[in-house]
Amino acid sequence: MKKSLTLSLLLGVSLLAADYSGVIEVPDASKIIEKDLLAPVGIYKMPKGCITDDPKAIARGSFMFHNLNGENAKGEAPEGLKKVDAHGKNKQYGNCVACHNIEGAIGGGNIGPDLTAYNDVYVKSGIRDHQFVYQKTADPRVDNPNTNMTVNLTTKLFNEREICDITSYILSPK
Amino acid sequence: MKKGMQIVLCVTLLSSLTFASEQFAMSDADRAMYEELLENNPADMMLAEGSEFLDELGGESALAKYLGVSEDALPSYIAGFPRYIEKFKMVVSIDQMLQGMMHDSGQKPYALKSSEMFNMSSYVKALANDEEINIDVNANKHMKEAYALGKVVFETKRGARGLSCLSCHNPSVIGGILRTQPLPDISAKGNASAATWPAYRMTKSALATLQKRFQGCMNNALLAVIPLGSKEMTALEVYFTDEAKGATIALPGLKR
Ligand code: HEC
Ligand code: HEC
Repeated sequence: MKKSLTLSLLLGVSLLAADYSGVIEVPDASKIIEKDLLAPVGIYKMPKGCITDDPKAIARGSFMFHNLNGENAKGEAPEGLKKVDAHGKNKQYGNCVACHNIEGAIGGGNIGPDLTAYNDVYVKSGIRDHQFVYQKTADPRVDNPNTNMTVNLTTKLFNEREICDITSYILSPK
Repeated sequence: MKKGMQIVLCVTLLSSLTFASEQFAMSDADRAMYEELLENNPADMMLAEGSEFLDELGGESALAKYLGVSEDALPSYIAGFPRYIEKFKMVVSIDQMLQGMMHDSGQKPYALKSSEMFNMSSYVKALANDEEINIDVNANKHMKEAYALGKVVFETKRGARGLSCLSCHNPSVIGGILRTQPLPDISAKGNASAATWPAYRMTKSALATLQKRFQGCMNNALLAVIPLGSKEMTALEVYFTDEAKGATIALPGLKR
């Protein structure tokens, strides 16, 4: 008697224990996150002829520094830079001003150091060199694994040439 | 709805905005809108609609019964979500719990991203107004796992800019300025995000839940947006809610 009662109770419970997996939405996000992960820190050597005083390269660097993306940017993109990427999608820029003040910044942030007069303050004083600025822009984790800064080359947000344009802009007299 | 609490919040918010230096304070037009909306938060109407949806399921008493608590204990129980619910065999947020309840009442559950669900789940969370957040991330192994996963999701750098939530929400950058926006403190000591969401977002003219707000930051910072209700999203909510543990719930919030 007792046994069969326990058994039927157990059965009852297992029959009643509904499976809610088809009722409650629990979509899978693990694959989305996996595909989106950041690659290990990239160490980059500045290519030859990277830093230039070519005004066109500096204009491109400036545009990428000050703007979030093509859709958001006011005015024409400078020669050699598009507002859409190779797939015709809204091209993302550096949005460096979100965190850094620099000459002419509008609404510049203060999460990162002020890059105003960078060449005079940091390079001529011997604290930094061109290779450092290139690497820091490409992948800032090199000297600070816990950096709050964006990763720009390892993520393929930019290519080498674009990193050079941005670096040239930071180092240029303004 | 709970005017006293809203006023306290608004004073804190306004003073923190003023504190963030004049250059970055709200424009006069924004401030005027903010003050007007505080008097009459548009989300109140949305929660009122949510209350009607809950009534169709039998109202608060039916909800209390469904959750196996007394009606008196309901607000404090709600203040502990996300929770592991044995019947569901998973850690769920309020909206997911409501999907289970709708199903068991013979109704087709609202989709997590539907406005009906936003309104109803926000209303239900607001039943816990004036309660302190009492989530217990050590209640059982499921909650422990959810908290640990939430912390990982929070700290994982990803996306086109290689950022994590932590990049912008860590003690060293709180109050710093990111393109004119002061970075908020998500903890109980600061903004206590989990106690102030769902909120009406003035910039979106819409009611947003905490998970929806997470998606906003993912989108802005170019992290691939993960879906509402995913294990990782719920885990992130567990993590944020624990950060705000002890803070008094005051809903609906009013945010930029
Ligand atoms: C989300 C915030 C953020 C963004 C966006 C950002 N940075 Fe930074 N940046 C920082 C922080 C923080 C530092 C301080 C060093 C560190 O933590 O790595 C820094 C440091 C630097 C430095 C080193 C300054 C020095 O000499 O010590 C350079 C150069 C720099 N950033 C360039 C850029 C460029 C170029 C961009 C855009 C392509 C950019 N940053 C975007 C936060 C940011
Ligand atoms: C690049 C910087 C940045 C990143 C990365 C970021 N956030 Fe934010 N977050 C912000 C800023 C700025 C605000 C305030 C904006 C406002 O109020 O308009 C904010 C606000 C929030 C809020 C609302 C706080 C409140 O209570 O009002 C939540 C919640 C939030 N973020 C969650 C996240 C999560 C989760 C992630 C990661 C998936 C994340 N954030 C990543 C910059 C960031």
